Amino acid sequence: MATKSKRSIKWLIGISIALAALLLPKFASDYGIHIAIISLFYVLMSSSWNLVAGFTGQVSFAHAAFAAIGAYASSLMAIHYNLPIPLTIVFGTCIAGTLGHVLGRLCLPLGGTYLSLVTLSFAEILRIVITNEDQWTRGTMGLQVPGIFRDYSKTKYYLLFLAITVFAVLGLNLLIRSRMGLRFRAVMDDEIAAASVGVHTTNIRVLAFTLSSLIAGLAGALYGHYAMLISPDIGSLAQMFLILAMTMIGGLGSIEGPIFGAILLEVLSEQIRSFGEYHLLVFGVISLLIVRFAPQGLAGLLRRQRWKLF
Amino acid sequence: MNGLVMGAIYALSAAGVSLVAGVMRVINFSHGEFYILGAYFSYYFSVSLGLNPVLAAVVAMGFLFLIGLFIERTLIRSTYGQPMQSMIITFILSIVLQNIALISFGPYPKKPPAFSEDSVHFIGDFNYGIQRLIAGSSSLFLFCLFYLFIKKTRFGLKIRAVAQDPQMAEAVGIHSKRIRLVSFGLAVALAGAAGVVLSPTFPVVPTSGEPLTLSAFVVIVFGGMGSIRGCLMGGLLLGLAENFGSAYISTMYSQVFGFILLIGIILFRPTGIYGNKI
Repeated sequence: MATKSKRSIKWLIGISIALAALLLPKFASDYGIHIAIISLFYVLMSSSWNLVAGFTGQVSFAHAAFAAIGAYASSLMAIHYNLPIPLTIVFGTCIAGTLGHVLGRLCLPLGGTYLSLVTLSFAEILRIVITNEDQWTRGTMGLQVPGIFRDYSKTKYYLLFLAITVFAVLGLNLLIRSRMGLRFRAVMDDEIAAASVGVHTTNIRVLAFTLSSLIAGLAGALYGHYAMLISPDIGSLAQMFLILAMTMIGGLGSIEGPIFGAILLEVLSEQIRSFGEYHLLVFGVISLLIVRFAPQGLAGLLRRQRWKLF
Repeated sequence: MNGLVMGAIYALSAAGVSLVAGVMRVINFSHGEFYILGAYFSYYFSVSLGLNPVLAAVVAMGFLFLIGLFIERTLIRSTYGQPMQSMIITFILSIVLQNIALISFGPYPKKPPAFSEDSVHFIGDFNYGIQRLIAGSSSLFLFCLFYLFIKKTRFGLKIRAVAQDPQMAEAVGIHSKRIRLVSFGLAVALAGAAGVVLSPTFPVVPTSGEPLTLSAFVVIVFGGMGSIRGCLMGGLLLGLAENFGSAYISTMYSQVFGFILLIGIILFRPTGIYGNKI
C-alpha cells in the first residue's frame, strides 16, 4: 500500500544518518569525536554479541574477554616485534577467532548452558592471567600501545572506525538475511526440527560463535591502538555487562537494536559519569526492566508502532 | 587440611546453585552476590546493632530467604523454560547487586567479629586457625542439614519430585510453583549462610562474589547438576586441587586450576560423576 512512500522515507533517513555520520568530525569537538569513536567500538561489540545471543540463542560471557585478547595480542606483537600495525590487528583478530572456535567446539556440543558457564570462567581467568603476568602485560598499570597513524588525529581514527563498523554491520546484515542466517534462527527456534531437516546444529552454533569472537577481537585490537593504553579492564565483566545491556536495551535479535543501544548507552554513561559511578547500577536496573517487560528491547517497542528502519 | 576445609566451604556454596539448577533448570549467576549480601548483613547486625554473632547470622539468613522469595516472584518466575533469559537476568542481577553493595557498603573489606581468634597446634609446628576450622565444620554441618532436609523430609521429597518431573509432580498434587519459590529462597539463604560463615575468615568486598560463583559452577558441573552428593564430592575435589596447585605451582593461579578442572570435566565426562546434565 504505502510501500513506495515508506521506502523513500527510509532512504531519506538512511542518507541523512550517513551524511551526519560523515560530517560529524567537522562540527563536533575532540571530546565529541572521542565519544563517537567509543560508541562505534560498542556498536561493533554489541552487534557481534547479538549475532550469537540474538540469532542462535546462546549467551557468551567472554565477548569482552575476546576484545581484550585482540587488544593485547595485537599490541604485544606491535611492541615486541615491531610489525606494521595493520598486520598485528589482523593477528589479534585471528587469535581471538581461533580461541573462540576452540571454546565453541569444546562446549557447544553440550549445549548453550555449558558455553555460558565456561565463557564466564574463561573471562575471569583471562583477567587474572593478564593482571598477574605483568612482565608482559604490565598488569593493572596498563600497557602503552603504539597508535595506527603516525600523526595522531581523532578524525582519522573516527573515519577508520566508521568504515569498519559500517562494513561489519552490513556484513552481519547480509549474513543474517542469507540462507546461513536462516539456519542460525532455525537452530535457535527449534533445535530438533532444524537438525531433522539436515542442519548441523553444533557446527552452525560454533560458526556463529567463532565469527562473533573474531569481530570482538577486531574491535578490541582497534580500540587498543586508538586508546594507546590498555588495561585488564577491557575484558572485565563490567564491560561485558555494558555490551549485554546495550544489546538488551536496544533490542536483542534485531539489526538496528544493538547499534541504537550502544550509542544511546555510551552517550548516557558520559552524562551520568559527572554524577559519579552510578552508570552500571542505572543501566542494570533499566535492562532488568527491559528484559522483564519488553524482551524485544526498544527496537521491539518501535516495531510495534510499525516503524521498521532496516 | 586447608583443602578439606575449603572443600566443605565450596560444597556449601555450590549447594544453592545446584538446588536451583536441579529444581528450576535455572543457572543462577548472581549466587555469589547473595553470598556477599549474607556477609554484609551479618556484619551489620553484629557490629552496628550489637547482636550476638550467631543470632546475627540467623537473622541475616532469614532476610536473605525473604529476598530470594521476592526475586523469584518478580524476576525469575517469568523465565522458566527459557534458559537464556534466566541466565541474562541473573547476570544483570549480579551486576546490580554488586553495585548496590558498592554504594551502600563501600569498597573496603568488611569482616564480622570472629567466633574465635585462636589457633590450634597440631603435631609439631603445624598451626591452624580455629576460625577456619569453625568455618569448615559449620559449612559441613549446614551442608549435612541441607542434605537431610532434601532427603528425609516431606518437603524435600516434594522438591525432588518437582526436580525430576514437574508435570508428574503437579499431577499428584504438588504445587510446583510454590516449591520452586521456596527452593529459590532456600538457595539464596544457603548462599547467605556461606557468606555468614566465611566472612570472619575471608573478609568480603563487593566483587568477592564472582570467584565464589565460578567455583560453584566448577563444583556443579563436576558433581552433575542438581546432585547434592555430587556437590560435596566436587567441592572437596576442587578444594584439594586448588590447595595442591597453589602449594606446588603458584598461589596466584589457584582459580586457574578450577578452570582447568572445568575444561577437563567437559572434555572427558560432561555429565559429571553422578551423571546429570542440563
